[in-house]
Amino acid sequence: MRSFILHAVFAATGVVLATGVQAANLEAGKKRATEVCAACHGVDGNSQNPDYPRLGGQHPDYLAKALRDYQSGARNNAIMKTFATALNEVDIADVSAWFASQPQVLSHRR
Amino acid sequence: MRLSQTGRAFGTFAGRYNSKVFSTNFSTGTGGELSKFVWVGGVLLAAFAGAAFAQAGDAAKAHEKTAMCLGCHAIPGWRTAYPEVYSVPMIAGQHPQYIVRALQAYKSGERSHPSMRAIAASLSDEDMANLAAYYGSAPPAVAKK
Repeated sequence: MRSFILHAVFAATGVVLATGVQAANLEAGKKRATEVCAACHGVDGNSQNPDYPRLGGQHPDYLAKALRDYQSGARNNAIMKTFATALNEVDIADVSAWFASQPQVLSHRR
Repeated sequence: MRLSQTGRAFGTFAGRYNSKVFSTNFSTGTGGELSKFVWVGGVLLAAFAGAAFAQAGDAAKAHEKTAMCLGCHAIPGWRTAYPEVYSVPMIAGQHPQYIVRALQAYKSGERSHPSMRAIAASLSDEDMANLAAYYGSAPPAVAKK
């Protein structure tokens, strides 16, 4: 229970830090995620297809970094480059916050 | 213990594939023989993929290597320090084959984080499969508040 609370606090802190002064818009994030990401990753980011990583509950700043790296080509993936390029900076903050807010299978389990 | 874990992983895996095939059936709207063929083929494919996956990694052997992972990935709120600051991703509960692919991408240089590249370079294919089996077993999703 204690670790769950800690977890929640860290996750909430992550959301705040990752999105900076401008709060992310979860509704806009859900909309863009549905349009761009959901076909592979699921609307809640918990993809059923094991080819695509689970994003639900993942740290939003990590998700945003991954998207920027796909855009720049620092992470080289033809499929993700196409989708990441369809997102602007605001979209990235919004979809990252959306997936981070979703049901979480991922954990810090040792 | 290992057998039961493998069985569960197989069940989940096969279940996912089955449900995917099932929905494909509906969406393509093919009926009769073709549909049956697709269905049976899908089940066989799922069984084969499940068996291959079950052989691929031994979660119990991952303990020889997890010491390299937990210093960053098992600490809530931990961040990278170099070359860019961001939260270290959670890997437990991730799809096993994505974990393997990520490790291979670091080893090959396709993904560039320096510490991950060094760690992945020290891992054999078997080590990667074992780690994926260990971290990839997923509990049910927990709703975030």
